[in-house]
Amino acid sequence: MTSLPEQVLLQYEVEQFLYAEAALLDARNYQAWLDLLADDIHYWMPIRRTVTISDLDMEFTKPGDMAYFDDNRQLLEMRVLKLEAGSAWSEDPPSRSRHFVSNVRILEVAGDEITVEACFHLYRSRLNSEENNWIGRRVDVLRRTGGSFLLARRSLFLDQTVILSTNMSTIF
Amino acid sequence: MADGGQVAHAWDRQRILSLFDPGSGVLDRRVMSDEAIYQLELERIFARGWNFMCHESQLKNPGDYFISYIGEDQVIVVRDEEGRVNVLLNTCRHRGNALCRAEQGRAKSFVCSYHGWNYALDGRLIGVPGQTAYYHGDIDRSRLGLAKARVDSHLGFHFATLDQEAPPLHDYLGDVGRIGLGMVCAYGDVEVAAGIQKNVIDCNWKVAVDNLFDWYHVAYSHASASTAGFLDIARILHPKNQMVMLGEYGHAIGGPGIPEDMQAQIDRLTDDEREAMSRAAPPNSPRIRPRKATELMGPVGVRSQGHPNLFPNLWITLGGLQMCLRLPRGPSKTELWWFTFLPKDAPPEVKRTMMGLANHAFGPAGLLEQDDGENWSQSTRATRGVASRKLGQQISMGLGHGEVTVGAAGERFIEGPISEQGQRWLYRAWTEWMAASDWADLKRNHAPPPAGML
Repeated sequence: MTSLPEQVLLQYEVEQFLYAEAALLDARNYQAWLDLLADDIHYWMPIRRTVTISDLDMEFTKPGDMAYFDDNRQLLEMRVLKLEAGSAWSEDPPSRSRHFVSNVRILEVAGDEITVEACFHLYRSRLNSEENNWIGRRVDVLRRTGGSFLLARRSLFLDQTVILSTNMSTIF
Repeated sequence: MADGGQVAHAWDRQRILSLFDPGSGVLDRRVMSDEAIYQLELERIFARGWNFMCHESQLKNPGDYFISYIGEDQVIVVRDEEGRVNVLLNTCRHRGNALCRAEQGRAKSFVCSYHGWNYALDGRLIGVPGQTAYYHGDIDRSRLGLAKARVDSHLGFHFATLDQEAPPLHDYLGDVGRIGLGMVCAYGDVEVAAGIQKNVIDCNWKVAVDNLFDWYHVAYSHASASTAGFLDIARILHPKNQMVMLGEYGHAIGGPGIPEDMQAQIDRLTDDEREAMSRAAPPNSPRIRPRKATELMGPVGVRSQGHPNLFPNLWITLGGLQMCLRLPRGPSKTELWWFTFLPKDAPPEVKRTMMGLANHAFGPAGLLEQDDGENWSQSTRATRGVASRKLGQQISMGLGHGEVTVGAAGERFIEGPISEQGQRWLYRAWTEWMAASDWADLKRNHAPPPAGML
């Protein structure tokens, strides 16, 4: 059992890491964002379905099923390369994004890995009049390395079932 | 189907036929944004044609249901206790409320959440609360079952139409439609992978359909996917070896084709030799189809590495790995649904590779698909301006340069460089569907796939 001051310190470190990460994405500093990722990262957004209460076991697709994102580090690097290619038309002019992270709760500390749940709200303004709001629950696994963390796993549970946007060319 | 009189009157046959000129390839931009034209499309194309509902693997057990659409009519596709597949309009006969609000699941019956009317899985009205106490027994339940669409299937793919006069699905699909579905099953019997990606794009549904025939945009629109190393576009494009197949009622296939002499070499290989060659090929190369594929697709169809479209709105892509349904949601809005099909007998690692390709190429986050939506929405938007909409879409590429070959079984196809033959065939058929008042009219007044120069 860790002491309250230790818990507060960990909560502070985790939150500061998540805020710094969000700031990098909003500043379009993708290379620096890639530096925060563990080599074995799994970045995953399952498909959500509108189902009745009796079918709630079908609400999300399972790991290994189809997904919106099911990426390893190589895929995420490709997404960044694409954003920086100069020919990713869906992001040129670039979108304006704001990554909000809240309700941060540390679910588990196991060795050097910390499982963190948070709510996210990703706002995207695009061209002159397009707006997207992607809201959901996120479960991240942060791995302690030296004085900071690496993101080892990110699972994104979006609240929309039909995605109400032209694309998801923004990194969550 | 009866027509909405006013709309049909405003857009009479001659006006509709004038919207696209196959002789010049100029399309009137109003077809992408006019509300009256859109309403006529719902009646004369979507309610009249055969619409893809789902695959049999999505309805394994009695009570399994999946919500789909015929145009903007929402339907419940459900397997009943006898094992039959029913397509029921999702609207209670009492006040019209939707019976089913989930998108898929399992049900014993469908109970309306408004007043509790209860319908069996085959649509029969089996329960009305207060039938005696309030209705005094005056209600004839046998006349108030759910409205049903006609259902038919091919290779396990279920389709439905609201038109009793529609030809049987087999005839409607014709050779080109059946080749398209055969492409999905070319490597063996398939089942749907769990999870259907769905998203909404602010574009006319035809802009999306037009695009599937469009191998001209690939190198430019999707340049960043190549730069990022996702796939080598130059290797999949084959800009000089394209094959467009033309089918009756607007079905078509467009895209890379395997030259006849190369297919002749493939035909001499055993299935094992084909698999060995496919494994030795660079990643994302089209997998060589087994011998059985020729039975499903015919000697011409099996040479297609392109994109079938089953008129009006079912695109088959990635060599049959995925289907994308483009559901109309108004003249300027389309909902896209991505179904992924895996051969039942494929080893788990092969399935994982196939799903990885599907996940990362298409869908709203796909490295290819990301860039399409914005082009489509901006192209649609420009059809609304008073001056912009008068300009006409230019669909003239290769006009007069396409020699239609007639295959041994009557297949009509054009080989040559990238062209807009597929799009011209689409819009030509579209005008015929829109001009015809009913199926008898359409059967009389549509152009069968031609021979000669196009």
